[in-house]
Amino acid sequence: MKEIIKITVGLTMTCLIAAAIMGGVFIVTAKAKKHNEYVNFQENMLKLLGFDQNNPAPEDLQLCTVYRYLIHQDSKISLGYMIPVQPSDSDETIMYQLLLVNIQGEFVARHDLNISLTQANDENDRKKAITDVLSGEAVQIEFADQFIVAKNGKERLAFLLPGKTPGFKTHINFMMAMNANYAIVGLQILEHQEDPGLGAEIEQEYFKNQFIGKDVERIKTLKVIKEPLPDEQLKFLERKKWIDNDFSDDKINELQKKYQSKDICAITGATISSVAVVNGVKNVATKFVYRVKVLENIISKQNISVAF
Amino acid sequence: MLEDNKSYSNIFLNGIFNDNPIFRLALSMCPAVGISTNVMNGLLMGIAVLFVQFCSSLTISLIKNYIHPRIRIPTYTLTIATWVTVTDLVLAAFFPVAYKSLGIFVRLIVVFCFITMRLDVFARKNPVFPSLVDAVGMGLGFMFGMMAIGGVRELMGMGTLLGYDILGFRPLLFFVLPASGFFVVGFMMAIFNYTETVFNRRKRARRAVS
Repeated sequence: MKEIIKITVGLTMTCLIAAAIMGGVFIVTAKAKKHNEYVNFQENMLKLLGFDQNNPAPEDLQLCTVYRYLIHQDSKISLGYMIPVQPSDSDETIMYQLLLVNIQGEFVARHDLNISLTQANDENDRKKAITDVLSGEAVQIEFADQFIVAKNGKERLAFLLPGKTPGFKTHINFMMAMNANYAIVGLQILEHQEDPGLGAEIEQEYFKNQFIGKDVERIKTLKVIKEPLPDEQLKFLERKKWIDNDFSDDKINELQKKYQSKDICAITGATISSVAVVNGVKNVATKFVYRVKVLENIISKQNISVAF
Repeated sequence: MLEDNKSYSNIFLNGIFNDNPIFRLALSMCPAVGISTNVMNGLLMGIAVLFVQFCSSLTISLIKNYIHPRIRIPTYTLTIATWVTVTDLVLAAFFPVAYKSLGIFVRLIVVFCFITMRLDVFARKNPVFPSLVDAVGMGLGFMFGMMAIGGVRELMGMGTLLGYDILGFRPLLFFVLPASGFFVVGFMMAIFNYTETVFNRRKRARRAVS
């Protein structure tokens, strides 16, 4: 009996000390970790918009995020769009509003949210703000996805769409940019665990840039073909890698047009990864276009002065 | 408490050569096969393991008198898990690039059997300083092993070393796939054993002459 107590006390003490150490380290590092993720995300967004060190982003650049939530309320499901709103056309501060839409895509209600712009980056703060305005019993909210509208002054630059797709090993996280005509202007692979040298080639420009210029109608029927990339196209896709590229603007336009409607050439030895990315892009793009049309319809009907 | 024939340098070199975790003990093969696709990954993994081994050995040799012998293995596991979590959090916070390429393998250090083995075989029975020397030796042995495997696989698979293009072409893509890890480890083990046999034979011959 004495032995048992001794062992129990010993193990409990060890666990407590271990927990204290881990907790302490977590407190020190949590902020830096969050910051890293945020910076990484921001950097990728700027890269997608074509800004880098040589070509810095303009100061007027504004990134407005729209969050989409699934809201279970009294056994009914509705969609909650959390949208940034700028009252009137003045330069007043941006605030968030919650737009409730039913499954058929009809407007239900609109609530002001008590949340600041910086708070909106935090998932828990968003959830709290939304639950505060929703009445009724058994309200359950579930984060679905988000998209970002990049704006330069009054001009809309692009929609940035983060997405996720099951790859060869684990999920591939990517982000794509679409312009106002819903054509892809860029694709960026954020995170993946594909095999280096094979599936990891999805990070390469010659694969990612094949998506550029494809509009939503084309994306719907997009597929992977097992053909080698023609030399000309390869050189064209990787033109940014070489400093002394001999492509004039006319030539770029011409080649872009020539290859615009072509299917995606699979990466040698990594058909599964290629197909995964294509399917992910297809999925995100088609759903987004449908949703954004519904949303814009409602916004114009309800006369909401959105910030994007 | 130290045995007479074991000097510090002996303990240190023991981890790198005689008891090399990968090539002699053949322990912790999972990371050796899974993550050693290039030199940089091997180096980062080695540093992480070195840190965990060092801290765990230090902890265990400090508190060895208070550990109940019946629950020593759970205590080791807890100690290692604590330090691995610390490594994981620190890497994620301050070295995001390294964290990205190591991914899930940092958390797997918890079940690296050679760390537990070292704690049970060495740190539990020896004072603090020899335990630390042993830990560093073991950690470095693991690091060199990982880097060697990573070097061969990167050079043969991608034609590069540390990201710099060496060969200018890719000799055999097969080497970056997980299966090739076994081949490379096997061949390097054979080379390691052969060198040792030759070395010992010469030593014996020299002794015989004198």
